[in-house]
Amino acid sequence: MGSISRVVLALLIVAGVAIVLRDPAWVGGVTSGLRPWEEDPAGTRFRWTAGRGSFFIPSDAAAVTLPLRAVFPGPGGAPVTVDVSVDDRFLATIALRDPNEWVRPRLPVARATSRRYRRVDLRVNRVVPPFMLGVMVGEPQFERSIARR
Amino acid sequence: MAARGVRYFVAATAVLAFAAYVTIYTRGYADAPIRSDGFSYYVYLPATFIYGDPSLDALSRDWYGGTFPDFTAIRKWPGTGRWVDAVPIGVAVQMLPFFLGAHLLSWWSNLPRDGFSFYYQHAAGLAGLTYFVLGLALVRRLLRPHFSDGVVLTTLVALTWGTNLFHYGTFDATFSHAFSFFLICAWFAVLDRWWTRPTSGGSMALGILAALIVLVRNVNAIFLLLLPLYGGLRLRDLWHRRGSLTVAAAVGAGCLTPQLVLNRAATGSWVVNSYQLLPNHFVFTSPRIAAVLFSTQKGLFFWSPLLLLAILGAVVATGWSRRLVPAALVIFGLQTYLIASWTDWQLGGSFGHRAFTDGLGIAAPLLASAFAWAAERRWARPAVGAFASAAVLLSIAQMTQYWLGILPIIDTTWDQYRELFLRF
Repeated sequence: MGSISRVVLALLIVAGVAIVLRDPAWVGGVTSGLRPWEEDPAGTRFRWTAGRGSFFIPSDAAAVTLPLRAVFPGPGGAPVTVDVSVDDRFLATIALRDPNEWVRPRLPVARATSRRYRRVDLRVNRVVPPFMLGVMVGEPQFERSIARR
Repeated sequence: MAARGVRYFVAATAVLAFAAYVTIYTRGYADAPIRSDGFSYYVYLPATFIYGDPSLDALSRDWYGGTFPDFTAIRKWPGTGRWVDAVPIGVAVQMLPFFLGAHLLSWWSNLPRDGFSFYYQHAAGLAGLTYFVLGLALVRRLLRPHFSDGVVLTTLVALTWGTNLFHYGTFDATFSHAFSFFLICAWFAVLDRWWTRPTSGGSMALGILAALIVLVRNVNAIFLLLLPLYGGLRLRDLWHRRGSLTVAAAVGAGCLTPQLVLNRAATGSWVVNSYQLLPNHFVFTSPRIAAVLFSTQKGLFFWSPLLLLAILGAVVATGWSRRLVPAALVIFGLQTYLIASWTDWQLGGSFGHRAFTDGLGIAAPLLASAFAWAAERRWARPAVGAFASAAVLLSIAQMTQYWLGILPIIDTTWDQYRELFLRF
């Protein structure tokens, strides 16, 4: 194989990988900063975040209801706050005032995207050592758009 | 047959290592790659390139509420209140190209650019795997001119699977050992050429490699002794090459500068004992030498009996590898004494004794000498062959047990070992 053919082949491989990785189907199962699933005494499934946590929701979701619970109070008894952004755009700050209460904010996320999934990033304003626990995140509920992509 | 085996060994090992790596993480045998010691080695990269703050403070606030998990080697320096990572920056420097690739891919695939999501995790893990494979390629290159293809192939197989090298190139690939293994192999290879044909490029490479070896693990500075001891103590030769050595020293000092600046910013001193904030320290008056070499906990020869052949090799070595013996003995002796004097001489949880993994490249010519010696003696060939085969198979079986969580990661007793022997 000549050197030009090798370069062309290499470029084709890079382009193919880039196309595949632009919007891979497996991204839907990717998380970052979240511990494994657990269940609280009432049977609610949840995962702990650290100071931040990220997960993906289907891109045709018009809104997501995100169960959040602080468990540990914020600094000086203040509410624990969770900043929510979707695909790097700030969406809302959720204040968790009662450490023992599940808060279920409904967050509209509709925005045109060419991908299969949207990335949801959470930032928590306090973390509890030694296990570096942020807040409990339950299973998100989605409201699908009427017109699917 | 053997020639083909030598030719394709590194590529075949890379494929096997990648398959093992994928199995480990898809079957859940291990947590995500950036864990335990690997976290402390890696954390400089996201801190510097994502948070723009090499002091680690911004990252600690964002992820951990202004602190770090206890399992890390990161503590606040009492005088300044700034973070000090006990492990230096060398592994992070070696991981940098992989990290940048992961950062680019994360942006492209819309994954979190947080330094710890999918691509970052596996870039760090695959960096260790890559350096392990590159180290093997260097070992092959070093041995080939001096030994037959059969001996080279046997040595490569023995080194890879008769010790914990494969484990630290795959399962615990973000720990420093695969990175050090590569650097020490490269140091050996460049030194071998530099003593024959000194060039300014070779001198600069020596400086870079010496600095990186120290920047990955400070105590690995003992491997720099290979330079003056190569072929015996060569002080006169060194004096004749003082110009080249000055170049190497200047380049090395330049490469150390980022670590010195980091130390200065964090502690107010250029040179610090970063481990002083952690519970472990050296006790030079009561070294646990027998335990380090032979114990059921982490004894080097208990868990990697194949390395006994390196001792045989040191006795029977001839020619090129004979010149290595004095340096190997001094370095191995010093290393054993240092490890045995460390209060945590087991180095925490590990498969075999991981402190010795770094220098396996220097053991390779001694192993090859033992195999070459046995190959020439009809009576020794079956004995050495049977011992080496049994040692390799045992090591593979025990590595698999370790991966499956059957073997304890630390403090293994004789009773436990007997009870778990080859149990799956």
